[in-house]
Amino acid sequence: MGTIAKIHDMLTSKECSCTELTQGYLDAIEKANGELNAYVKVTGEEALATAAAVDKKIAAGEDIGLLEGVPMTLKDNMSTKGIETTCCSKILTGYKPIFDATVWETLKGQNAVLLGKTNMDEFAMGSSCENSCFGGAANPVNTDHVAGGSSGGVASAVGGNIAPYGLGSDTGGSIRQPASFCGVVGLKPTYGAVSRYGLIAYASSLDQIGPITKSVEDASIVFDAIAHSDKRDSTCVGNSGVTTYDKLNNDIKGMKIGIAHEYLDGVRDDVKEAILSAAEVYKSLGAEIVYFDLPILKFALPVYYIIACAEASSNLGRYDGIRYGYKAAHYTGTHDMICRTRSEGFGEEVKRRILLGTYVLSAGYYDAYYKKAQNLRGTIVSAFNKAFEQCDVIMAPTVPMTAFEKGRAVSDPIETYLTDICTVPVNIAGLPGVSVPCGFNQKGMPIGMQLIGKSFDEATILNAAHQYQKAAPEKFTNTKWGVQL
Amino acid sequence: MVTREDVENIALLSKLFVPEEELDGLTQSMQEIIDFADAINNAPAGNEGFDNINNLSNVFREDEVVPSYSNEDILKNAPEQAEDHFLVRNKE
Repeated sequence: MGTIAKIHDMLTSKECSCTELTQGYLDAIEKANGELNAYVKVTGEEALATAAAVDKKIAAGEDIGLLEGVPMTLKDNMSTKGIETTCCSKILTGYKPIFDATVWETLKGQNAVLLGKTNMDEFAMGSSCENSCFGGAANPVNTDHVAGGSSGGVASAVGGNIAPYGLGSDTGGSIRQPASFCGVVGLKPTYGAVSRYGLIAYASSLDQIGPITKSVEDASIVFDAIAHSDKRDSTCVGNSGVTTYDKLNNDIKGMKIGIAHEYLDGVRDDVKEAILSAAEVYKSLGAEIVYFDLPILKFALPVYYIIACAEASSNLGRYDGIRYGYKAAHYTGTHDMICRTRSEGFGEEVKRRILLGTYVLSAGYYDAYYKKAQNLRGTIVSAFNKAFEQCDVIMAPTVPMTAFEKGRAVSDPIETYLTDICTVPVNIAGLPGVSVPCGFNQKGMPIGMQLIGKSFDEATILNAAHQYQKAAPEKFTNTKWGVQL
Repeated sequence: MVTREDVENIALLSKLFVPEEELDGLTQSMQEIIDFADAINNAPAGNEGFDNINNLSNVFREDEVVPSYSNEDILKNAPEQAEDHFLVRNKE
C-alpha cells in the first residue's frame, strides 16, 4: 500500500486525527530540517487550520477524498496566495503571490495540507540544489551528498519522510534526477498534461509540473488529481479523462520495453548493471526487451541548453525591480536601477544562463544556434515517434551516476550539465517520463531507472513502474528520518 | 570565438552588469559553453522544423469577462509605489 492510501486509512479508521498527523509532520520537520534543509518555509499555521477542517468533517461522519487531509509540500516556484514564493532567488525575496497556481488551487480544493515550500536551485537552474539562495538540500540517504536538482527540496523531504508527497517541476530532469538521487519516485508528465498557471517560468516550452512520491501508486494518485485542462493555460489539454490509477495493475505480459544503446553510453558501470538487472525483472514478468539505436540523442544536451537558456533569457526579463521582489537600493537612472537590481538579485548560474540565452538569440548567432537547435528538436521528436513503433515504453537510466558529494557540482558548469544527459531528451520531445528506484551503488546511494512513454501515455509507464515496484520492493529504500508510518 | 566585447555587449542586452574583474573569467566560461553548444553543427541537417510538440496546438477558449485584481492587490508586491502606481525610480 502506498503512503497516501495508508494515511487515508489512518484518518478514516480514526487511528489518528488529521491534526495529530499534521503536528507529527511539523515536529519531524523541526527536528530534521536543520540537516536536510529541504524546506525553505514551513506553513504550520495554515497546515493546522486545514487539518482542523478535515477533522471536523471526519467527526461529522462525512466521507473524505483520498488526498484530503494528507500533508504535502510544493516546490518554491509554485505560486501560493499570501505565502512567500521565492524560487530560492534573492530577486524574489518577500514576494507573496496574490493568486494560487492551478495545481495548488486544485489540491487545496481537496483539503490537501500544505506543510511548506521546498528548496530548489534558483529559478530551477541546476542539478544539485546548491544554486539555492538558502543553500542546498541534503540527500536523506547520506547527508554528505546532494539531494539533486532542481527540485532537491521536494525529493529530500519525501525521501526523509517529512512530507508524504510533493509537487516539483521538470524542465530538463528537475523532478526525475533528484528523485533518482534520493531513492524516490518522480513523474514528469507529458507537456500539456498539467496546467502551469502560477508556475514561475524558466523555459516555457519545456517546463512541466509533476509529483515526487515514495511509491508509484502515490505518483499515480497525485497525477490523476492534477492532470486536467485549465482555461488559464493555453498549452494545457489535461488528461482527456484518462486515469492512470485504475491501470496500475494491468498485466504487462507482452509489453515491449525498448532500450536505446545510446542511453547506456558513458553511464557508470553500477548504474548500467542496475538498469540491465531491472530489464531481467521485466523479462520475468513477461515483458519483451528490444534494443535499438537512437543516434540523435547525442545532440539532445546542447539542443536543450540552447533552447532552455534562450527561453530563460526572455522569461527572466520581467525581473526589473519595479513590480515585485528585490530592488537595488542605490542607482543613478532607470537603466542603472534595472541593471543593478538584476545583477544584485540573480545568482551566478542564472546570470550565466541569461547571458548564454541572449547570445544565442542575438543577431548573427540566431541561425547558427537557436534556429538550428529548434530544427534538431523536430528531428528528436520524429526519432522518438519512430522508436515507439518498436516498443511501448523506453527504459533508460535517469542519471548516468548516483548523487555526488556536496560542493562538487558548483565547480564545473559543463560537467554539471552532463548529469542531465538522460533526462533532457524527454523534455525536448514533450514526453512523459518516470524515475523509479532500481538499486544501490556500493556506498548505498540509490540508482534510478527512467521509463519513458508515448505522448499522453502516463498510464502505461506508471503501470510498468508499479509492476516493477511490486516485483522488486527491495530496490525501494527508507531512511531514518521523519515520520515512520 | 567569444570575445570580451561580445560578453560586454550581451551583458548590456541582458541588463546585467559584469564587474571588470569577472569579465575574463566569464568570457572563458561562455566560450566553453559555446564550444559545447557547437556540437549541434555536426548533427545531420534536420529540416523537420519545430512548430509544436507532437502536433499540439494552443487551446483556445471563448473570451469571457471575469473579475480581475484590484489596484491594491496588484501593488501589494511593489518595492515602491506612489499615488496608486508603481514607482519606477525616484528623481535624482
